[in-house]
Amino acid sequence: MNDLPKQKETTLSFEKIKEDILRPMQNHKGLELWIAFLITVISVCAWAYYVQLRDGLGVTGMRDYVSWGLYIANFVFFVAVSLVGMLISSILGLLRIEWITPISRIAEIIAVAFVAVAGLVIIMDMGRPDRVVNVLIHGRFQSPILWDITVVTTYLVISVLLLILPMIPDLAICKNELKKTSPVLKKLYNILSFGYINTPSQHKHLHKMIRTLMVIIVPVGLAIHTVTSWLFAATLRNGWDTTIFGPYFVAGAFVAGSAALVVAMYFFRVSYKLQDYITDLQFDKMGKLMVAVCLVYLYFNLNEFLVPGYKMKTGDDIHLKELFTGHWAIMFWSSQLLGNIIPVMLLVTKKFRKPLPLMIISLFILAGAWIKRYVIVIPTLLHPHLPIQNVPDNFVHYYPSAIEISVTVLSFALALLIITVLSKIFPIVPICETADNNGIDYKIDA
Amino acid sequence: MKNAIKIIACLFLVFTFTTAVVKAEEWSVPASAKKKQNPYEASTKNISSGKKIYNINCKSCHGDATLGNMLPLQPVAPSDLGSQAFLIQTDGEIYYKVNKGNGAMPTFEKTLSDEDKWMVITYLRSFDQNKKASKKIAEVINPEVNDVRILLDINKEDKRIIANLSGLTKKGDRVALQGIELSIKVKRSFGYLDISGDDAYTNEKGEVNVQFPEDLPGDREGHVDLLVKVTDDAYYGEVNVDRIASLGLPTDPVNPLDERAMWGTRANAPIWIVLSYVGGVISIWGVIFLVLFQLMKLPKLAKTEE
Repeated sequence: MNDLPKQKETTLSFEKIKEDILRPMQNHKGLELWIAFLITVISVCAWAYYVQLRDGLGVTGMRDYVSWGLYIANFVFFVAVSLVGMLISSILGLLRIEWITPISRIAEIIAVAFVAVAGLVIIMDMGRPDRVVNVLIHGRFQSPILWDITVVTTYLVISVLLLILPMIPDLAICKNELKKTSPVLKKLYNILSFGYINTPSQHKHLHKMIRTLMVIIVPVGLAIHTVTSWLFAATLRNGWDTTIFGPYFVAGAFVAGSAALVVAMYFFRVSYKLQDYITDLQFDKMGKLMVAVCLVYLYFNLNEFLVPGYKMKTGDDIHLKELFTGHWAIMFWSSQLLGNIIPVMLLVTKKFRKPLPLMIISLFILAGAWIKRYVIVIPTLLHPHLPIQNVPDNFVHYYPSAIEISVTVLSFALALLIITVLSKIFPIVPICETADNNGIDYKIDA
Repeated sequence: MKNAIKIIACLFLVFTFTTAVVKAEEWSVPASAKKKQNPYEASTKNISSGKKIYNINCKSCHGDATLGNMLPLQPVAPSDLGSQAFLIQTDGEIYYKVNKGNGAMPTFEKTLSDEDKWMVITYLRSFDQNKKASKKIAEVINPEVNDVRILLDINKEDKRIIANLSGLTKKGDRVALQGIELSIKVKRSFGYLDISGDDAYTNEKGEVNVQFPEDLPGDREGHVDLLVKVTDDAYYGEVNVDRIASLGLPTDPVNPLDERAMWGTRANAPIWIVLSYVGGVISIWGVIFLVLFQLMKLPKLAKTEE
């Protein structure tokens, strides 16, 4: 993996790293505007959610046929994106791959934000959110729902720990350097730095804990998206009733997560002026990684559609024809071509792995990934097992209502707000690790 | 090639005929049912209406009467209903078979009215070359009665059920009704089990005597729901009586939901699922709490170094 020449490390000093990374945390230019915009969006959309709470789920487009609509597609998408934390900071981290150091924290922040909102999306999908406790009180071990709630919570906790623990040395620096910040933040840095002064024993102790977490997040990360797929796969419906859904979803999650990470990397690099840290090397490597995960996902897609397509059982026949040439063809093929096949073809050439082209391709992949989730959830539900006659038209055709779209926008805005706030109060690139990687000695005062 | 087809066709015919004979032996008709006679005369009008009913309900399998173009079903092809071999039977026998069905032959007990069935038999009789119309067997003629009742006498010792069918004549006498078919049924989870046997026609005392099966399960106390009714309500309308009798074997009902299973309540979760869930949660959260505990040691480590 280290085939590219090392970056110009001579120009970096600990003081410069510190200054470069801490600068965006003190410089608020334009940020208030962005946060104000997000909060406005959230409050407007929160009103839509209030309407849904007040009048019930009838205000959504969900009816007897499609009882899992846009919300569940969003949930699967959010869970998928959140899996990037496990892929980048854990799997690649355990493999001691150095180029991920500057972007691992961005990956972890995305993971925390998206998995937290994924949990909320599920609650937003409930007509009676006050009954979510019933899943724990009366839930059955046999039900994927109980597993899902457990695993989403667990993944959130481990992701938060994996965000904070590697950050402890940096927070100790923040505590010392950021004199002008608000007292609340100062107190936060003070608590979360756990008296770290980078003694050898502390260093060893901390890294042992981080490695432990990196190991256990792998099964939990695999479980979160596998269990999400079980929600579908345990249902005897054409298009869902398949044993391959677990790995298929995990592979798709790596694609969506990597794309989200690239987009975030680009925006942080430009707006935080971190060109010296999030370099072309990182984009080049991410481009290569995306080719790999896209190819794995493509392989699972072939399995997912070729096998039932070959057997053509009556129900599968209807389902696949609807996807390939029928009502869902445009969405299906755009998600496959724009979100998977064309990106792979482009990204094998080096010039498309430069920051801007890669970011644009990643936006397409991200959009394709979202459409793919929509196509997985809704068409299947529109073909009920029993031919029901004389149902109202809005049973047979599902269109998300304005309320549903607003609540979806709410969830996206909320995820962006969490990312914005976290990236504002925490250093977005690891200071101490970058110094370690470049062989720079540093001291942290008590 | 043609020979091969002929041989196969011959084998096929031999096979179907032999199995048909075998099957025909199995299709026994109770003596009292044989006695029934077609109450309708063989007028042109009746024959043509019988033909219409035949074409709608019978032709699809049996083909045209006398032409032998029935469906070549396996293992038993339908009979040609215009053949003399078939028409050797009495009206009562044909009527019984139409009513009950056998194997692939469906029951027409409820789908055709009594009159329709007799019309079809009238039509089929018109192909009978012997015209051995109505070999006069003394038909049971019951007096005109009302207030028809079934009385049940259940003998718990030898598990026999004696059903007595009687009616009130105009003079006010209660008389036994003879030659009427009764259905004796036991309620089960879905629908009824018919235990009447083949010859459930009332005798001259108006009685049908049925042996209750030895091995039929009842509830905890051995209770079963009995239903006795006049099979053909064309005679006296709907006449039935139900009774709870302790004739069955006492059985502890098994609720499938009581066992450990994927479905059912949380308490019934299969042990391996409970273990994987609880084991997974305990081990993962155990590690998380271990890490949190270790984290608390971090400040202390700074002090011990100094």
